[in-house]
Amino acid sequence: MKQSFRVRCIVEGNARATVLSTTQPIAFLKGVDPEKGTIIDSKHELCGASFAGKILVFPNSVGSSVGAYVIYRLKRSGKAPKAIINQNADIITASGCAIAGIPLYDMTEDSIKEFKSGTRLVIDGLKSEVRVL
Amino acid sequence: MYLSPNEERALAGEYGESMQMAYRVLVALGRLSRAEKLIPIKWAHVSGVSYLTIGDYGLEFLQKVSSSKGTRFKVFTTVNPCGMDIENWDDLKISSDYAEKQLKINACYEKLGIANSFTCVPYQSYKIPSAGSHVAWAESSAAIYANSILGLRTNRESAVSALASALTGKTVFSGLHIDENRRPEKNIRVRLEKREKKFGGSLDYGLLGYFAGTKVEGVIGFQGVRSKLEVDEAKALSASIGTTGSSGMFVLGSREKVETIDFTEKEYEDNFSDLSSSEGGDLIVFGCPQMTIEELYELSRALAGKKFKKKCVVFCSSKVYEIARSRGYSKVIESAGATFVRDACADFTPLISSLGAHSVETDSCKGAHYMRRVHGVDVALKDSRTLVEENIA
Repeated sequence: MKQSFRVRCIVEGNARATVLSTTQPIAFLKGVDPEKGTIIDSKHELCGASFAGKILVFPNSVGSSVGAYVIYRLKRSGKAPKAIINQNADIITASGCAIAGIPLYDMTEDSIKEFKSGTRLVIDGLKSEVRVL
Repeated sequence: MYLSPNEERALAGEYGESMQMAYRVLVALGRLSRAEKLIPIKWAHVSGVSYLTIGDYGLEFLQKVSSSKGTRFKVFTTVNPCGMDIENWDDLKISSDYAEKQLKINACYEKLGIANSFTCVPYQSYKIPSAGSHVAWAESSAAIYANSILGLRTNRESAVSALASALTGKTVFSGLHIDENRRPEKNIRVRLEKREKKFGGSLDYGLLGYFAGTKVEGVIGFQGVRSKLEVDEAKALSASIGTTGSSGMFVLGSREKVETIDFTEKEYEDNFSDLSSSEGGDLIVFGCPQMTIEELYELSRALAGKKFKKKCVVFCSSKVYEIARSRGYSKVIESAGATFVRDACADFTPLISSLGAHSVETDSCKGAHYMRRVHGVDVALKDSRTLVEENIA
């Protein structure tokens, strides 16, 4: 099984944490609770799950561009993910992570399905590489 | 992406936290679009002003940015309308809680240094840079107008990216800043042969844009339309394209040999019935996007000596209002019973709800789209002449 993956850097940084992974897009405005760091969209497969302090893996975000400010609020309330890995990063997630200072990477070669919830990952920003521990 | 030594220092935080944040945004977006560099801009237009849209999270972010010592906008910056008339919110039944938050947002922008009005038609009030100049405009209707009518170059920026451009005076060199990306991807051909009335006016162009936005993601080429539009027509076309699609530019009289889609009576009627949910309304709304001085002139001519039979609100910037006042247009319009709401957005103000309107009459497709969704009102779409003729005595 492949243990290390090349990723594209959007907002740099390192992280070492447990994964919370979904193949469904996330809407930050109204889809997450920025005071608790949880998914609250009742139609989402991760509804109720906490991503605070984890590496949050999802394909891309959807919904209002105010979502960028929700990502910023997550950081201020101490409930932000340690880092985010997208399949294809989009403007909302990218600008939100940039203002909040949350490392963001996306996958141009492999599928985010390689990263299952519960596994531990290291993001090496300098090498743009993700390793499974 | 290439960064100059100075840009690298800003990104490393040497010029303070706000500047670092702004460069982080530009670099992140540059990486997304695989841009080679950043370029200087002459004008930033920032969206994300109404408290109804950005809420407490946006306010918190703006307070952080504007409180950082010495942080000021580096280039000429205009901002979008806010959620109420700053001079007159109390009379217009805006709650004091809302007003307090809105004034805090406005104070943040004022501290950073903005031009003296809140407007979605910034091209009406300030000197336009020479054709070909690079700018960074959020507010899709203004960005599309800038590219297509003014010959400026901008991408459709977001609230955050335009703010980053205002703080740094730069934008990412990508998309519509680059010549080869400004050619039509598809054409839309107007073919309304069976129709008696000549194609024209803000409603017709609004419906055309509403349709075109759903069909073309890139630059839209139009055929079968005049090569020079009136300001209100170009404004309505731009606003509608921005409402339904991601396109950032159109070309009038396209000769590009690309796929061509017809806009016939059927498309006209289908889009009209999607947007117009009622025959009439209890409130008339003019000014989505905000009224231009040309439109206020036309409205004052149509209203001379007449009175509206129902409530009418007219949205425009305070700057355009001042011009209308000095030329006597506003007096005629006010004498007809209409109320001006300055520096606010018709779609994202609590006003429409607080006036207790159940249904609205307007000539704006963008307005119809958002007012139905944001305020839950029914909308009757009519062209501006009909709106006046049916409702005056």
